[in-house]
Amino acid sequence: MLELLAYDFMQRSLLAAALVGSVCSVIGVFVVLRGLAFAGAGTAHAAFAGVTLAYLVGLPPLSLAIVFGLATVWITGWVEEKGRMKLDVSIGILYTATMALAILFLGLMKTYNPEVYGYLFGSVLSVTSEELMTIGGLSIAVLGTILLLSKELYFIAFDQEMAAASGVPARQIFYLLLTLVALTVVIALKTVGAILVFAMILIPASTAYQLTHSLTQMTLYSMLIGNFCAVTGVLLSYAFDLPSGPSIVLLATSLFFLAVCCSPKRLHRIHAQ
Amino acid sequence: MTHPIIRFDHATFGFPGTVALEDISLSIPESEFVGVIGPNGSGKTTLCRAVLGLMAPVSGTLRVLDCACEELRCHHRALIGYLPQKGMLDRNFPVTVLEAVMMGRYGALGLFRRPSGKDRDIARQALTQVGMDHHRDSALGALSGGQQQRVFIARALAQQPRILLLDEPTTGLDLTAQHNVVELIQQLHQDLKLTILLITHDINMIRSRVDRLVLLKTRLFAAGSPQDVLKPEILSQVYGKELVITDKDFIVVEDYHHHH
Repeated sequence: MLELLAYDFMQRSLLAAALVGSVCSVIGVFVVLRGLAFAGAGTAHAAFAGVTLAYLVGLPPLSLAIVFGLATVWITGWVEEKGRMKLDVSIGILYTATMALAILFLGLMKTYNPEVYGYLFGSVLSVTSEELMTIGGLSIAVLGTILLLSKELYFIAFDQEMAAASGVPARQIFYLLLTLVALTVVIALKTVGAILVFAMILIPASTAYQLTHSLTQMTLYSMLIGNFCAVTGVLLSYAFDLPSGPSIVLLATSLFFLAVCCSPKRLHRIHAQ
Repeated sequence: MTHPIIRFDHATFGFPGTVALEDISLSIPESEFVGVIGPNGSGKTTLCRAVLGLMAPVSGTLRVLDCACEELRCHHRALIGYLPQKGMLDRNFPVTVLEAVMMGRYGALGLFRRPSGKDRDIARQALTQVGMDHHRDSALGALSGGQQQRVFIARALAQQPRILLLDEPTTGLDLTAQHNVVELIQQLHQDLKLTILLITHDINMIRSRVDRLVLLKTRLFAAGSPQDVLKPEILSQVYGKELVITDKDFIVVEDYHHHH
């Protein structure tokens, strides 16, 4: 297995997987606790619409993925804030509308473009050095912001109104969280693909949620699980000639069900009954 | 008279087309313990949100800590400890008691600053004041409703507030827990000389403990000592004609037709 590390493409893939695993699993803690799971799924599909438009008009794919992702996530946040309609309804509309746009843009392309489908299904083994630089830069930006504002992010995930009443700029932090979710989706788009990216945000955090009663421990566990699944998933994908995105996500899903079965919280409740 | 820490001057609150509270004039001096009562929809929570700076008056003025509502910045809000109405707490939310109380320090600390050992000491002290320090490493969701309310009061105290705002703190608690929570609030008022606004439906529980009662019904219906406010003629006007008070010492609100 060690000789694999001698290959440049494998070094890039493992590094990309580790970065994506870390950033997705850490932002996932706040997404799970703040109840934004569906919003993230909608953002992933919007980002893919951005990628397809970029290929259609000849722009860098990640730039329009960011624009589409941010627009979707901010509209979602605004709708929740104003209470104009139920959040799941507004996201459902945006989710399907952006997916329809993506299909439309794909239809307008005159030729089959395998690179576009790489963003839909994920292809970590084909990550280029330039893409790795972009993933690295965005990961540092997202993780650095979370590190600097973790106490505020935890507080709004726990109770946004109480946070605002205590003097925390809760509204601004909420929009910052949405922005970080959109950036994370873009970071992970090439690695696990638009369809599966949200699993990488949701599953490690949900697995960690089963294991602890502490916010800081949940973040730590989530990061370890996310990293382990991403790196091991890439190695399994290469070893058994499997697609990388599903390998990562199915490994994470297996760990999730294992954690549910062995959850100290659940076992404690059963014991208490 | 002590300088008012909260001052409403002909203040009206609401949304376009809806008035939630009208023409409120009320001064609350520092260290006063005020009970706010009134039927559902009378504007109690609006009063609470206004004092927190989450809602500005549409006319008139409100000054809290010598600031107009729109000037109430984050560092002012950090001086107002707030216990919101008891929501449905996710029993599995991964937060320990100490982590939840530490959140009370975050507003005062400001952005980018990490809590220090001193902040942890303040949180521990707040837990001791509510008798919950021995539970500091427990999961918040594993505690009883009464214990959780104590933890949230500790969170508000960890802000080192000048004003404590409690929105129906006894709702959903059993009788013993209700009594213990109100007794704790009274004790904190005596020990820390905090200005307390306690919003409640439970008139009996607070009538002997507060300095002053404020009775709301979209406007300020009455304000004064409990003896002055809790008069049958005043209460029956606010709570409706079909309701009567059957006992002067222990207020029981009954259905008029049933009573007769």
